[in-house]
Amino acid sequence: MTAATAPVRHRTPRAASAVPLNAARLLRVELRRNAMPWILPLIAALFWFDSYRPSTGAAPLYGLRTFWNMGQGGTIIDFGPFVAGVAAWMGSRDGRRGLADLVTATARPRWAAQLATWAATAIWAVAAYLVFVGILFAIYARQGVGGTPPWWWVAAGATAVTAFSAAGFAVGAYWPSRFAAPVATFGGFLAMMLSSQTGFRHNTGWALILPTNSNGNFDSQDSGIFFPWLPDLPIARIIFLAGIAVAALGLTGLPARAGGQWLRRAAAVLTLAGVALAGTAVGLASTARLSAHGMVIPALHDAANDAPITYTPACGHAAGVPVCLNPAYRRWLPDMTAALTPVLAEVVGLPGTPARAGQVAAAYTSSDGGPPQAITLGGHPTALRVSLGMLDMPGPCGFCDGPVATKQFVDQIRLAFAHAFVGAGNGGGSPVQQAVQAALLRGAGIPFAAQPKLVATAKNVPGPAPGPAAGPVYAAARRLATLPAVAQHAWLAVHLAALRAGRLTLKELP
Amino acid sequence: MTTAGLHRPAPGNVPAPAAGTRRDRAAAGWRLARLYLVSRRVPMALALLAGLGALLWAALHWHWNIAGGAAARQVIPLTIETGAAAVIAVTTYGPFGEPERAAGRWLPWLRLGAAVALTTVAFGALAAGAAAGAMPGGTLLLLRNLGGMVGIGLLSAAVLGGAFGWTGPMAYLLITEGALAHRSVTPWVWPTRPPHDRGGAICACLVIAAGLVLITVHGPRESGRESGPAS
Amino acid sequence: MNVEISDVTRRFGRTQAVAGVTLETGPGVFGLLGPNGAGKTTLLRMMATVIPSSSGRVRLLGRDPGGYGPRREIRRRLGYLPQNLGYYPGFTVAEFVEYFALLKEMPPGRVPQAVATAIERVDLGGRARAKLRTLSGGMLRRAGIAQAIVNEPELLLLDEPTAGLDPEQRVAFRALLRDLGERASVIVSTHLVEDIGAACSKVALMDAGKIVFQGTPDELTARGEGTGAAGDAPLERGYSAVLAAARSATAAA
Repeated sequence: MTAATAPVRHRTPRAASAVPLNAARLLRVELRRNAMPWILPLIAALFWFDSYRPSTGAAPLYGLRTFWNMGQGGTIIDFGPFVAGVAAWMGSRDGRRGLADLVTATARPRWAAQLATWAATAIWAVAAYLVFVGILFAIYARQGVGGTPPWWWVAAGATAVTAFSAAGFAVGAYWPSRFAAPVATFGGFLAMMLSSQTGFRHNTGWALILPTNSNGNFDSQDSGIFFPWLPDLPIARIIFLAGIAVAALGLTGLPARAGGQWLRRAAAVLTLAGVALAGTAVGLASTARLSAHGMVIPALHDAANDAPITYTPACGHAAGVPVCLNPAYRRWLPDMTAALTPVLAEVVGLPGTPARAGQVAAAYTSSDGGPPQAITLGGHPTALRVSLGMLDMPGPCGFCDGPVATKQFVDQIRLAFAHAFVGAGNGGGSPVQQAVQAALLRGAGIPFAAQPKLVATAKNVPGPAPGPAAGPVYAAARRLATLPAVAQHAWLAVHLAALRAGRLTLKELP
Repeated sequence: MTTAGLHRPAPGNVPAPAAGTRRDRAAAGWRLARLYLVSRRVPMALALLAGLGALLWAALHWHWNIAGGAAARQVIPLTIETGAAAVIAVTTYGPFGEPERAAGRWLPWLRLGAAVALTTVAFGALAAGAAAGAMPGGTLLLLRNLGGMVGIGLLSAAVLGGAFGWTGPMAYLLITEGALAHRSVTPWVWPTRPPHDRGGAICACLVIAAGLVLITVHGPRESGRESGPAS
Repeated sequence: MNVEISDVTRRFGRTQAVAGVTLETGPGVFGLLGPNGAGKTTLLRMMATVIPSSSGRVRLLGRDPGGYGPRREIRRRLGYLPQNLGYYPGFTVAEFVEYFALLKEMPPGRVPQAVATAIERVDLGGRARAKLRTLSGGMLRRAGIAQAIVNEPELLLLDEPTAGLDPEQRVAFRALLRDLGERASVIVSTHLVEDIGAACSKVALMDAGKIVFQGTPDELTARGEGTGAAGDAPLERGYSAVLAAARSATAAA
């Protein structure tokens, strides 16, 4: 037998289990040599600067701390464009290194090898995202931030990172050039900036699907506190972003070198499926409507998410009246009791004086068209209902004009209580109601001179423009305030119902 | 092959270089510059810069959701300027490695010339795009912001390598966006400063000067020897 | 026969890189000689199933590479080292070879041993964990050879495999070729005639896309005797004589 006539060797077929094991090995090699870890220190620094640091200026509630970094997609902007750039670098690797021929000449379809490269890139990116967000929430937890984290928004962010990696990878695979990475990164930034800008102008409809459209995300400050975070909109965004990722990956399987005919057909089907998925999500988003607890998409809505979160309240006392808050607001209980004590002490024993005070979820609409009130009275026995979600709590308050001083908060609570107690409702109140309100505030330690500015700056408490505490209203209030406490109390006991009904005039004030 | 007809100099003599005319030298210089620019993919960079100019024109002409206050209106033009800076940074990458560095004295001048020329072209392209109107801050702001960004890109290329020079301008864009949103006014984030602000202009000038000096003298960082074709 | 090529052509635009080549070979080491631009690399790329032929018939390892399934089977049994070997600088030698072993769908249980064996065979055992960017040109070439032989191919295609190797390494490489040729078809494209003489049992000479000689190295040597053709060695003179004859025949036609 010569070398020329030796028979061709045959091999035994491979076991079916060889495929996933080889794929796992391939993935392991790609994970170890991926370029993504090199960009993570830069992303970490930007994450700290852009997502964590600004959030510390917000009150320690998840809905406020995560308004910028989750609600407005700050974490997505920190990650996405850079992930797209590095993914483009990885996608262009074979072309840049002159390995396209060599990889094509192997048995495994080139698309399969590319998907392994992409998978490693995406795993690094998404894992880093989850770790960074996890550290962020761990810090929040240590700082005692109240409420529950917006996990669905975290999932939407992770899906966004995946979509960016897929889109960037496709850019690099099709364009193995040194410019692929910067172009992909630039495209990512431009897309995110346009998404934010579109969100400023469009707070309904299809535009809600955009990843950094903040409308409706975190409008309800009680999300995660009184009611669960509604998953409707994040689910729609996850579907949208997953569709983009699938379509981008399908595109990489279309070129002739990617593999055989059937594989490329499968890639085409995948591309179309991804586009259909994204389109479906846009359609779902266009049906979204803002409810009291967040964005509702009827086709995705689960009524179970409307059920309030059960909790054990944190309670104290103010002038003998129990004051209970949601445990997320526990740190402000002393401020609340300190705020309510003097005003409750003035009215204790009067008809309609609240037997207890409790925090309730914020209401964003009122039945009679005026602005909703942070404090209302009602029920049998009368209860004081406090919607702290509508107010800026003491301490940092994000985008407001500087931190809220405790005195500022306390004064606002006293004003809101007095406003509700005199029956002024959603409006500015009758002159008599305004006068009694002013007298009560004076009795609680707020001088008349400070009251016009307080009324003008208070949230949702209509009143006259700030100016000197003069005029017939304040004159009547001064008269009432100079009465001895017993006399004042007695007058209110007789006239409270008429006061609340708006049937009194200033002349009838003592 | 034979050696007949080959002139040999006397032992110890080094033959003098052939005296070229000024025109020959100029032609050789242009040719060298052209080959250098082609090796850095500058034609593609020019096309990308023109595209960015067109994009800016479209964004301004059609008011691409440029909503909000003065700071918000800056964001999209700033993103486009950053894209231009990233493209310029990436052109510093050279495929030749040591043979090029060892070849002669012209390389630093070629690097400097290419960087300055591309920055000028980028400014021209974006200024033309800004002619669509209402460019926030006008061309003075464009010049300052673009120049500073290019400086960051050149510095990034010098430290990280030409292929990764884009990371610096992109990171700076994110920092700028955060500074604009949170009303920070340090001159080192010059896009947050008014167009005629001296501090912002000085900082941007310092950065581009540093970038040009570093890329001229040192060139982009080269991460070890690489073989195989590089795009 | 592992390789059966019949009247194969390949065009790139108006350029005909391969013009009607017919070739058959079984196990053994087959040399492909020729000047630059003769079409050797293009022919090798067609045999590596990287590019299809423009016309003609190709059968590799008893299969038609035109079909996806047969092509995949061929590629599992194929080893290919291109002339310009690209690589990922961050990979180690072992990772680089393992990467291609996995892409060739080797049985997973065999991969680690096959990788180690391939690296040892090219005498890079001591550098298995070294990053590719730290290797010399010759070592990189040997790493390329290792990835080509890791799956014990039945058809091994090597384009300028000894470029960058020092004389000692070239001697060792020729011994490796002879060893591989006992079980597989090894086709070596080169313009170093000493490689052909030392390792190949058969040789073909290409010029301008055509095969102008097929036979044994001794037959090629004999073609140069008494012709006065240029060359410092008998095989070189045979090479020059055949080329000169082919070119004058073309000119006369």
